[in-house]
Amino acid sequence: MNQATLTEHASLAATEQGTTTLALVGHPNVGKSVLFHRLTGTYVNVSNYPGTTVEVARATARFDREMSLLDTPGVLALPSRSDDERATVRALLHEDLRLIVQVGDAKNLRRTLNLTALLAELGVPMVMALNMTDEASARGVTVDTPALAEALGVPVIATVATGGEGIAPLTDALLHARHPAPMLHYDPEIEAVIDQVTAMIAARAPHPRLAARGLAILLLGHDAEVLAWLATRPEGAALVAEIAALAPAIGRDSLPARLARERGRAAEALARTVSQQAAGKDRTLSLLIGQVAVHRVWGWPMLLAVLYVVYLFVGDFGAGTLVGLLEENFFGGILNPAVTALVQNHVTIPWIADLLVGQYGLWTMGMTYALALILPIVTTFFLAFGLLEDSGYFTRLSVIANRMFAAIGLNGRAVLPMVLGLGCVTMATLTTRILHTPRERVITIFLMALAIPCSAQLGVVLGLLGGISFSATVIWAGTMVLVLLSAGWLAGKLVKGRRVPLVTELPPMRMPVLGNVLKKTGGRLKWYLIEVIPLFLLGTLIMFVLDRTGALPWIIEAGKPLVTGWLGLPPEASAAFVMGFLRRDFGATGLFALSHQLDMVQAVVGMVTITLFVPCIASVMMIAKEQGVRTTALMLAIIMPTAFFVGGVLNHFLRLFF
Amino acid sequence: MSPSPAERIRLTGTPVGRKVRIAEYGKEIDPLQVEQLHAYGMSPPHIIRVTQQQPMTVVLCDHMELALEHDVARHVWVEEA
Repeated sequence: MNQATLTEHASLAATEQGTTTLALVGHPNVGKSVLFHRLTGTYVNVSNYPGTTVEVARATARFDREMSLLDTPGVLALPSRSDDERATVRALLHEDLRLIVQVGDAKNLRRTLNLTALLAELGVPMVMALNMTDEASARGVTVDTPALAEALGVPVIATVATGGEGIAPLTDALLHARHPAPMLHYDPEIEAVIDQVTAMIAARAPHPRLAARGLAILLLGHDAEVLAWLATRPEGAALVAEIAALAPAIGRDSLPARLARERGRAAEALARTVSQQAAGKDRTLSLLIGQVAVHRVWGWPMLLAVLYVVYLFVGDFGAGTLVGLLEENFFGGILNPAVTALVQNHVTIPWIADLLVGQYGLWTMGMTYALALILPIVTTFFLAFGLLEDSGYFTRLSVIANRMFAAIGLNGRAVLPMVLGLGCVTMATLTTRILHTPRERVITIFLMALAIPCSAQLGVVLGLLGGISFSATVIWAGTMVLVLLSAGWLAGKLVKGRRVPLVTELPPMRMPVLGNVLKKTGGRLKWYLIEVIPLFLLGTLIMFVLDRTGALPWIIEAGKPLVTGWLGLPPEASAAFVMGFLRRDFGATGLFALSHQLDMVQAVVGMVTITLFVPCIASVMMIAKEQGVRTTALMLAIIMPTAFFVGGVLNHFLRLFF
Repeated sequence: MSPSPAERIRLTGTPVGRKVRIAEYGKEIDPLQVEQLHAYGMSPPHIIRVTQQQPMTVVLCDHMELALEHDVARHVWVEEA
């Protein structure tokens, strides 16, 4: 059976199930999603930082319609520890897997083989795609792939997934997948325990596909997912207790640490045998730029320069020039007058005409806001964002910001979801799965819901405040950072648990691939518009009904003490806050439309308040999915009063000077 | 022959640019983070190069850059490569 080829497995699987399932498994940021795209034609988000994929994606292979491919989240190591690693182990345990393709990083072979050492024990046929061989060559690393294939007992194919190199040989190699040869024998003391646990699993809770020895090693390494799976077996509870009694600390270190160390040694030994490093080629331009980005002095000017360029592109060009062209010239000057004339000529019922092209008309407000105001802003933002995330710069921010985040009980890793939140808070909430503790996740999600504006809102803010003065933008940004740090500090004190010091990989700085950036921008725009347009139309309809029934003037009157008295805004701003309940960017756009009535202080106060206002419906649902309804309700109960409190305090403070 | 424990220094005390050999992890480091370091390939007696000490310790391990907060790096013991 050990030498059985995939052909035999595939035919068996096809007979029993109709399809063969194949999983791409590997470390974070080694190109699994690019390879998945190459093999299936299905695009999943691809970026230059670890943790882009936090859920398993599935698609049918291009080369075999009977084959289903899984793109799994990157695993730093197995046994699994973080939520995204657990998702991968769940896929290994519960999917009908017939084949594993380990995607490895050719320039970091030792690390790749460290994971192979564990995957090889699972008893599933394997192929290794040794990816990024171009980067390895640039750094003087050569790998003897035939020798590696011989040592592992599985096909090893050199690939450059981004350039499509090695894809055809890889698909051919899938037919020759084999059970890998074990890479190591642990020391006798550990082997004895592994043998005992293996025998217990094989006799009392065998897995339909995974080898008992692999499961035993994962269990002894305290893998929570394997433990959960075992607990569901008929004799699982008793077995878990017996295994726990068998696995005491051996020597000074814990058993998981010893297992990891021995795999590390085996990986090192094999990597030395099959790879070579040319002298003097380990310093590259990419490395130098990466080092400047996290330099204690030069890192800050670089960050400010990046932020300023993004501001110029999104705030000035997107929210200024492009919105001016679209909203004022095209929609205001040509399209809206034409649509209005058309409706008024053909629709004889006045209220329907008003619903379409009136003050709160579905076209004149809903579609105009979505297409003329938001679309150019999010387009420029997503372009800038895509370039930065593919460059590898975002992860370096975690080093720069780590000290600041330490002050609020987090570590710099939380920067990544927060930066992604500037694109879309909903998706970023999902990305918090890369954080290692529940405490880090709940604090980060709360701070994002409170103080991180999404791309559309950020663009509207930059557009409105940038049009007034640069200092207005600086006051808004400074206030948001202050609120973020204060709320984070308080949350850090209140949420139980201890802070985990940061240890993180810094992916290489790379020249972004324009095609990937455009593809990502297109995908994000499509997703965004599908979500935004219905909600903007619904919001406009609500505003129309409130206006028609006389409720809107009442709300404006009722909101006066808060909106006019405390925040110092014109009474009509109440309508913007009503709109903000649906989406913060819809509310911000409502304030943007009032901009000719606002002075500098009012504009800053209005934008600070609406930025801190309740997150959008999609975000609230995602928070409830990740953290539960009770925690979500508690967050909302804190966020709303905080928004008005901070806005009012800022209003009274700024009035002392302006 | 491997140097005696007395010749070991903390990773945080290693000058920038120096290549050192990882000797041992102090017990002050969380076991999960020790596992994480092994997974990155930072296992004794591997050789790494220190590229930065502020605001965090940054090392080059093979061709991977790793940033370690000082609370972790000061408990990583290294010796001359």
